Order: sequence, then C-alpha cells, then structure tokens
Amino acid sequence: MSVAQEFTKGLWKEIPPFRLVLGLCPTLAVTTAAKNGIGMGLATTFVLVCSNLLISILRNVIPKKVRIAAYIVVIASFVVIVELTMQAYFYPLYKILGIFIPLIVVNCIILGRAEAFASKNSVIPSIADGLGMGLGFTLSLTLLGAIREILGNGTVFGIHIMWESFKPFSIMLKPPGAFICLGLILTLMNWVSSRQRSH
Amino acid sequence: MSEYLVLIISAIFVNNIILARYLGNCPFLGTSNRMDTAIGMAMAVVFVITLSSAVTWTVQNYVLIPFELEYLQTIAFILVIASLVQLVEMFLQKSIPGLYRALGIFLPLITTNCAVLGVAVLSVESHMSFIKTLVFAFASSVGYGLALTILTGIRERSATAPIPVHLKGTPLGLITVGLLALAFLGFAGMVQ
Amino acid sequence: MVFVLTAICAISALVLAYANKATRAAREYQLLKYVEEPSIREVLKGYDNDPIKDRVEMFIGRDNKGKPIRETIFPAKKNGKLIGMAYSTEGHGYHGTIEVMVGVDMNGTITGISIMQHSETPGLGARVVEPKFRDQFKGLKLSGDLNLSTEGGKIDGVSGATYSSKGVVSAVRKALELFPRAKKEVS
Repeated sequence: MSVAQEFTKGLWKEIPPFRLVLGLCPTLAVTTAAKNGIGMGLATTFVLVCSNLLISILRNVIPKKVRIAAYIVVIASFVVIVELTMQAYFYPLYKILGIFIPLIVVNCIILGRAEAFASKNSVIPSIADGLGMGLGFTLSLTLLGAIREILGNGTVFGIHIMWESFKPFSIMLKPPGAFICLGLILTLMNWVSSRQRSH
Repeated sequence: MSEYLVLIISAIFVNNIILARYLGNCPFLGTSNRMDTAIGMAMAVVFVITLSSAVTWTVQNYVLIPFELEYLQTIAFILVIASLVQLVEMFLQKSIPGLYRALGIFLPLITTNCAVLGVAVLSVESHMSFIKTLVFAFASSVGYGLALTILTGIRERSATAPIPVHLKGTPLGLITVGLLALAFLGFAGMVQ
Repeated sequence: MVFVLTAICAISALVLAYANKATRAAREYQLLKYVEEPSIREVLKGYDNDPIKDRVEMFIGRDNKGKPIRETIFPAKKNGKLIGMAYSTEGHGYHGTIEVMVGVDMNGTITGISIMQHSETPGLGARVVEPKFRDQFKGLKLSGDLNLSTEGGKIDGVSGATYSSKGVVSAVRKALELFPRAKKEVS
C-alpha cells in the first residue's frame, strides 16, 4: 500500500474505535464534550506517532523476546512527556481528562499498531499509519463528544446551539449515555458499510 | 469498620469500575459471550488487580515519593504490572497448573486492561493506607466481575433472540452495558 | 538482549528527568493558580499584578523533623505599589484542620477571608464558609475584637458549631500575628 493509503485507512476503513474496535475506555470516558474529545485525541495521536516512529527506527535492534517490554517503556515515556506538558501548559484540560492521560499507555491502539505495523515497516509508512489512526481516533472522539454534548448539554464546543426550550438529556453525559451512543454509532456504521458492499 | 463497609459498597455498586468509571472496556465485551470465559476473566482480574495494587502502593510510597520521582509514576506502574503478570504466569504454570489452564489466555491479556492501571492510580491518588488500598482493589475487581457475569448472562440469553443484523455483536453488547450502567446508576445516592 | 532493554530504559530515564526539570516551574505555577487563585481573588481586591507570579516564600521555622517550614505570601500591587497581601494559615476545627486564606492591607487590617479546606460537618461547622460568617472578619485588626463574641470579641460564631468557628478565628489570628514579618519580607 502506498504511504497515502496507509494514512487514509485510519480515517475511514479502519477508523478506531468505530471500525477497529480498540481504545474504548477513553472513548467512552472523555467524550462528555467535543473539546475534551479533541484534547484526548490529539494527546493520543502525539504518543502514537512518536512511538510508531521510534519503534520503527529500532525495529531491527529490539530482540523479539523482550519486544513487548521495550514497546511499553517507549510508549510510557512519551505518555509521561504528554502528562508533564499538559500539567504545565494545559492544566484545565489535564484536570478534566484526569486519570485517562496516564491510561494512554494501555490504549490498545498504540500497543496494537506498534506490534502489528511499526515493528514490521519502515519509518515513513509507520508515521503515516500512526498519524492516520491518531487523527481518525481524534475525529471519532470529537464526533462522539459533540453528539453527547449537544444532547446532554445543548452546547457544542461550549456554544449553545439548541433551541430555547430544549431540555438536555443529562443521561447522555453519564455512562449509560456513552455506551448506548457508541452502540448506536457502531450500528449505523455497520449499516453504511453493508450498503457500500452491496453496491 | 464502617468505613471499610462504605468503601466496599462504594467500589462494587456506586462507583463500579466499568459501569461508572469506564475502566476495563476492551476485554469486557470480548469475554462476555460465554459464561465460562467470563468467569475465567473475572477470576484473573480479581487476582491481578488486588496483587498489583498492593505492589504499586509499595512502590509509590517506598520508592517514588522518598526519591521525588512521582513524575515517573505511569511508567513505573505499568512496568510493575507487566512484570508481575509475567511472574505470576510463570509461577502458576509451574506450581498450580490447574489454575493456569483455567485462566488461560486472560492472564497476559490483563496487562493492557486499563482497569488494572486505573485502580492502581486511583488508590494511590486517594492517599489510602495499605489495608484500605487492598480492600478497595479487591472490591473494585469484584465489582468488575459482577458486572461481567451479569452482562454475560444477558448476552447468552439474547444470543438466541432475533436481532437485526447490524446490531449483532458489539453494538448490542454496548447498548446492553449501557442499560446495565443505567440500572447501577440507581445506587448513586447510597454513599455520600 | 538485556543490553538493548537497559539502554532504552536509561535513555528514557534521562529524557524524562530533563522533561521533569524543564516543566517544573510551569507546573507549580499552574497548580497554585488553580488551587489558590480563586481564594486570593476573594480576599484581595483592586490589584493589577499576578500575585502568584510575584509570590514570596517566607521561612518561618522548622518542624520537629528539622525540615524548614515556609509560608507562601501572595502580594497584591496596584501600579507597582504594594496594596496588600494574602496567605493561608490553619486552625483546628471539630473534624481536623481548617485552612483559611487571609487577605490583609498594608495596615494589618483584614480585607477578607476564604475557607480553602475543611472537613467540618455539613449544615453545622461547614457553615463557616458562608459569607454571613466570613464577612464579620473584614475590617478587623489583631485585637480583642478578633475573637468570638462569647470570648469578648466581635465575631458571632455559627450556632451549634463553636469548635469550627473557634478554629477559623485561631487561623485568622495566626495570620495576623505573622503579618509584621510578612510585611517586611514582601516590601
């Protein structure tokens, strides 16, 4: 596959978490608002791209037996860098995303791509793969965050867009809303791709 | 004594780690299709979470804080968890092969279960004592097992029902979890 | 095999130690901004500087383990001139310590107090956070007036919460006792 295709597959065909069902925990937890979705998505993208890059560079150096441990050290280091940077310059977002920032290290997407792709491909495709998956993830989180924010709060990115008498479904901002919303989106995507197949 | 009871009820019902705190989703849906799989996963989770919380508490309070290395918490904890799971696997394989076979593939899978790292970080953030951390970790993982078992029961029953094709599998699973979470929301007022 | 892993860990440790150092000042500032600034805004008015950026650490003494105790003082300035300062002190309430942020002007008169942390009983001792109780401290100096009315002062305690009220009073008195030294430290 060309480099461009490696990039775009993460944006639709294999978009996490909707098609590539990985990384569910942060997806459900932080998408109470579109802004939080973007923040989390970008933080994850940063770690994903950096770790894909480094692991691809080192792919012939890391011995097979200790590769998971090595990947974990690399990924965790980038996560700590993200943690420190957010604490220093984006404190309000850091407080909102809370425990899910350190949890980026166990985001199955990152370890998954490292094992499935970066360890077997050269640097440029690995970067493209990481960037595509990361941005796809960011788009998904922002979309889910926007839906939950609109239905649960009447706002999107903090701007009121619903009509005056709209009473928000605050259940959307709680766990049940998150699970059900994601389930419905997955159903929609299944329907869309089955129509694409039949054409 | 009563504060431990409150801690336990809160961890299992009010702040259930999967239904209220969103921790541990990925394997949750994958292992809730059959009851024996679910029970294996639940046992593994209880075991690993309780053990790793004990070790990470020790690392935090006897290594990270005295040497002012708190910023390394994430990397230290995940390495502890990964190594612990490796060690436990090797130990079980040699000494208690029956248990090893029962837990099967779930043991190595648990390293990336965000519930493990999540519970470790949560208990350290609340500055709890060692005993309280153990109780919290055990209760939280029992809550996870409880939610998993209930979900599996429901999914096994609904597998034979006529489900629209696009809803089959993960989407319906998610919606079911959502309804389960809705039910558990009813516990919310129990603990202040 | 072991060599590669060790090398990766070593490089990671170095990089992270550097990142930690490089961001430390910014992180401390953000933490203070979000924890202390709301209280500072409540007790000091009319300033145009950044009290957190201009903060001063004052050495008070040592605890029983020999570690130095420092008080962080947040100065308020207008047009470059010092108009007041705020710092936090602690008193013993009914259920533990109560942390109070006290704002004073340059004459040692209280401009306001804010309760930052407490574990008092909701509906009783916790009512010390209400403006009705806190506003009584405004305009007082370190004198006999700065006591509960049951002890000859001017402060009406929260009914049914004598210990909590006393805890706040003692914290505020401690703050004013520190004032002469704080004033010297900041000027």
